[in-house]
Amino acid sequence: MPTISIFKSDLESLLGAPGEPRTASIDELQEWLTLVKGEVKGYQADTGELRVELQDSNRPDLWCCEGIARQIRIKLGGTAKPYPFLSKQPGRLPQLIVASGLDRVRPYVAACAATGYRVTEQGLTQLIQTQEKLADIFGHKRKTVSIGIYRLQKIRFPVTYELANPDDMRFTPLGMETPMTLSEILMVHPKGLEYGSILAGQSRLPLLRDADHRPLSFPPIINSREIGEVLVGDDELFVEVTGTDAAMVVLTLNIFAANLADRGAAIQPIAVRYPYETPFGKRVVTPRDIGRPRAIHIETIERALGQELGTTVVKEALEAYGYHVSTGKKSVTVKLPPYRQDLMHAMDVVEDVAMSLGYGAFSPEMPSQFTVGGLSRIEHLSDRARELMVGLGFQEIISNILGSPDHYRDAMRLEGTEWGTMVEVRNVMSSNFSCLRQWMIPSLLRVEAASARSFYPHRLFEAGEVAIFDSAHEVGSRTETVLGAVIAHAAAHFSEIHSCLDACLYYLGKTYGLEPIPHPSFLDGRVGTIVVSGTPIGLIGEIHPEVLERWQIAMPVVAFEVNLSRLEQLV
Amino acid sequence: MNTTSSCDNLHPLEIAVLGVFGAHPAGAALTTEQLAEATKLESSQLSMAIEWLLAKQLLVVTSETVTSIVSLTAVGKTYVERSSPLDRVLSAAREASSTGKRLTIADLQTKEGLEPSDVSRAVGRLKKEGALLVVQGGCLESTGRPSPSAEAMRALLRELHEAPRPMESFPEVRRALIHDYAVKRGSAREPFRIEERATRSYMLSQTGAAAVHALAGQAKAEEVAQLSPDLLKDGSWRTKRFRKYTISLRPPRIAAGKKHPYREFLDAVKLKLVSMGFQEMRGSLVETEFWNMDALFMPQFHPARDIHDVYFVKEPARASAVAEPFFSRVAATHEHGGITGSTGWGYRFDPERAKRLVLRSQGTAVSARTLALSPSVPGKYFSIARCFRYDQVDATHATDFFQVEGIVLGEDINFRTLLGLLNLFAREVAQAKEVKFVPAYFPFTEPSVELHVRHPRLGWMELGGAGLFRPEVTQPLGVTVPVIAWGLGLDRMAMVALGVHDIRELFTDNLDLIRTTRGAF
Repeated sequence: MPTISIFKSDLESLLGAPGEPRTASIDELQEWLTLVKGEVKGYQADTGELRVELQDSNRPDLWCCEGIARQIRIKLGGTAKPYPFLSKQPGRLPQLIVASGLDRVRPYVAACAATGYRVTEQGLTQLIQTQEKLADIFGHKRKTVSIGIYRLQKIRFPVTYELANPDDMRFTPLGMETPMTLSEILMVHPKGLEYGSILAGQSRLPLLRDADHRPLSFPPIINSREIGEVLVGDDELFVEVTGTDAAMVVLTLNIFAANLADRGAAIQPIAVRYPYETPFGKRVVTPRDIGRPRAIHIETIERALGQELGTTVVKEALEAYGYHVSTGKKSVTVKLPPYRQDLMHAMDVVEDVAMSLGYGAFSPEMPSQFTVGGLSRIEHLSDRARELMVGLGFQEIISNILGSPDHYRDAMRLEGTEWGTMVEVRNVMSSNFSCLRQWMIPSLLRVEAASARSFYPHRLFEAGEVAIFDSAHEVGSRTETVLGAVIAHAAAHFSEIHSCLDACLYYLGKTYGLEPIPHPSFLDGRVGTIVVSGTPIGLIGEIHPEVLERWQIAMPVVAFEVNLSRLEQLV
Repeated sequence: MNTTSSCDNLHPLEIAVLGVFGAHPAGAALTTEQLAEATKLESSQLSMAIEWLLAKQLLVVTSETVTSIVSLTAVGKTYVERSSPLDRVLSAAREASSTGKRLTIADLQTKEGLEPSDVSRAVGRLKKEGALLVVQGGCLESTGRPSPSAEAMRALLRELHEAPRPMESFPEVRRALIHDYAVKRGSAREPFRIEERATRSYMLSQTGAAAVHALAGQAKAEEVAQLSPDLLKDGSWRTKRFRKYTISLRPPRIAAGKKHPYREFLDAVKLKLVSMGFQEMRGSLVETEFWNMDALFMPQFHPARDIHDVYFVKEPARASAVAEPFFSRVAATHEHGGITGSTGWGYRFDPERAKRLVLRSQGTAVSARTLALSPSVPGKYFSIARCFRYDQVDATHATDFFQVEGIVLGEDINFRTLLGLLNLFAREVAQAKEVKFVPAYFPFTEPSVELHVRHPRLGWMELGGAGLFRPEVTQPLGVTVPVIAWGLGLDRMAMVALGVHDIRELFTDNLDLIRTTRGAF
């Protein structure tokens, strides 16, 4: 989840009344940050820069200094002041006209203007950071949502959101010196290369332009340098959000409107006119109040929290967390502020009540009902086998399960054999971690190969999970627990490992037989299948010298492997 | 006193002394000298052994007499070799008289190499006895008469050269001469030494006699290196003595059969959880996205479901089907909330995506499967599940790790009992008395809590995360009671307990490291 950089002084001035910053120590800030599920990850006292990690991926409004400050400020003040830009505006609103065809490309747009806030250096840094974090994380790398900010005085309304031919229109994008066509931007500009795939397959591309046909931007790729480069000192801004999800587009604009309003700007709503239907209609004024009132039984909240609170306490708690609340006799009706859209279930409100009251307000209580503890049958069997192996003088090993086909298959001479099929990874990051082990002996040879200098004899075992390829199974493989054991020393011999297997199976209460088989990992004539009640449950033998060579092991090794899951199923 | 134990604990020096008594008739009293003679021990060792035996009451003192013993000093021994000054002065004077040469006192000092004090003392004594005359000019002349002192001195030197003797053994005149020529304060260069010596004699006590008897039995024993079955079988070990070992040496090393220290740590956690009433659950290393994420109400567009966060299976890439009714119910919940009273995520659920196979990325997948299998109510479950993350491997990130997770179901489950359970984990798993509950975010719980504890060795640390499963998780799986989902982050505790600083060392291939690591938990 996002980690953002904010300035302590900026946060403090947003926490207080205009001109009266509310100062706080880092400890105090950390305490307040629990309200937003935030954690201070670093603080540079000389620059006043704080690194804050925000956990909640459903609260993009909190991924900025303004949002953090807002949540804390409301709690300190007890209630939130409603934002005036949500009420009906007098007079004719500036227009943003959507052209037809965009419903198949990038259907939704929302915009507003902000005047009267002179952009400071810290404010500009924050504006850009918020734009990036929201587009990247909330907007899925600009696919669902992207944001543009412009100098309002350069724009003549109405603005048009239209589809343009890739080679018709030219403008100088941010970061470039000369005008480029849209297709040139996609092929050359770094942002075009990074985000161009969002528009893959489109013959005509989205463009925002003003009444004088001057391009604002090529959403979601890049702004025009002339209109779309905001500088410190600007005090008239135009903000637009485009995307593929109507609610997310409006929410994102609402967050920007609230942020700029919190910094002292007057927000001018914009009327967006669509030629097609949207979830909010054909004419949508943005910012827009998208919250829906929701009635919640007080008992639902009290049962979930395990504490009687009453409607008054719940109302106060939620108001101090930014909600609009009205109370009924046994219920509360709640509505989220415009910068939030994360109320899916009553339980979301329950958590906000608990956070507003503070988790410390709830005294822990032990669950009182009696339950019986115990291990699974396979774990129980595995533990018994481990005890026996320890008693037989073996050192236990734990290995990675995710490994490489080189080790699990090729070094074992199993290429192209029935034993060489494994669960392999599609998105390989490193060939060292590209398949799940299908048997245990390679895990033990890995240790043997690395430990020639550790004094001999080596007697090693591991009990653990393997994934056995099985196309008939629901998930294409079976996870089974196996026991593997190896002995390595100058005179290591079949009968030595056989004695160990014999003792282990005897005490596990299993009668077994060995049946000779050919197996490429073992010396021919010195390998067998372990059979219990007619079912093969494992292998025993002397490791083939060529296998040892491939592992670069210069010591004879004998080994056995028993499938405990299969053994457990044999009554 | 117990004879056997006193006999067993005897020092070799003590055994040597007791052996001498064993060689004498019962009741014999032996002096220190006799014991020294018989044992051939240094006098310091002998007196040590006698002191110990007296302290153990194996010996008693029968008599104690003080005698003056006369012995030769180093000076006395040179007199034996080169004669005493008396003799040398006398013979020089006789020679001078017979040849008619003059002999002065100065001549004696230069020619004979005698000390001036020795010369004057010898001349004085010989003159007094009339054996010597001092004539004019300081010349010495022999009178030809014998000197009793010189003769007595000669005899004493001869006798004492053989052995020191008690003063009483000499006649009165000789005793006077000895006193004259004995080392005293202020005159160290004398031929004789007189020492007061306490002579004790000892005899065996009753227990001492028994110990001697027991030793007599052992004394006959033959020494063997190794107790053998034959010696035991015929009882002949009784007549053997076993060679003593130097037990302070380092032993040869052996490779112990033992559990892996990290597994021991996990076993301890497992035992704790079972003792708190948790039942173990098992799951599959490979899971569908459905059970790994969808069932946990993580939307299919969730950032953590990206190709860069989870390992996908190459072949088969998808499960053939996901069990109903869960598949339809979960899909409906994602789209519009279904039966849960939620708004849902409001997107088109992709059933093909749900079937994609991944390497299990969170232990919560095991909990989701358990919820769908009609778990007990009330019920407590845990799993120690191997999980895989698409991460670059470094000292703090492994691609392959254990997650300790579980669920608690019950009518009485709520936010406060959730905190109560976390308190229990803090106390039982981390031995922590102080806890803090911090709001947290997990996609599948609401409310969500992080448990911070003050660990006795690590200070404040995050021990785990938990919350109440969202109804969007439990209800589609057929569970109608509230459910706690919890997870514990134990890797840091394990690394401290095992003394490793790199998470990769938990799965090390270095056998020496595995053999020598001791867990501290």
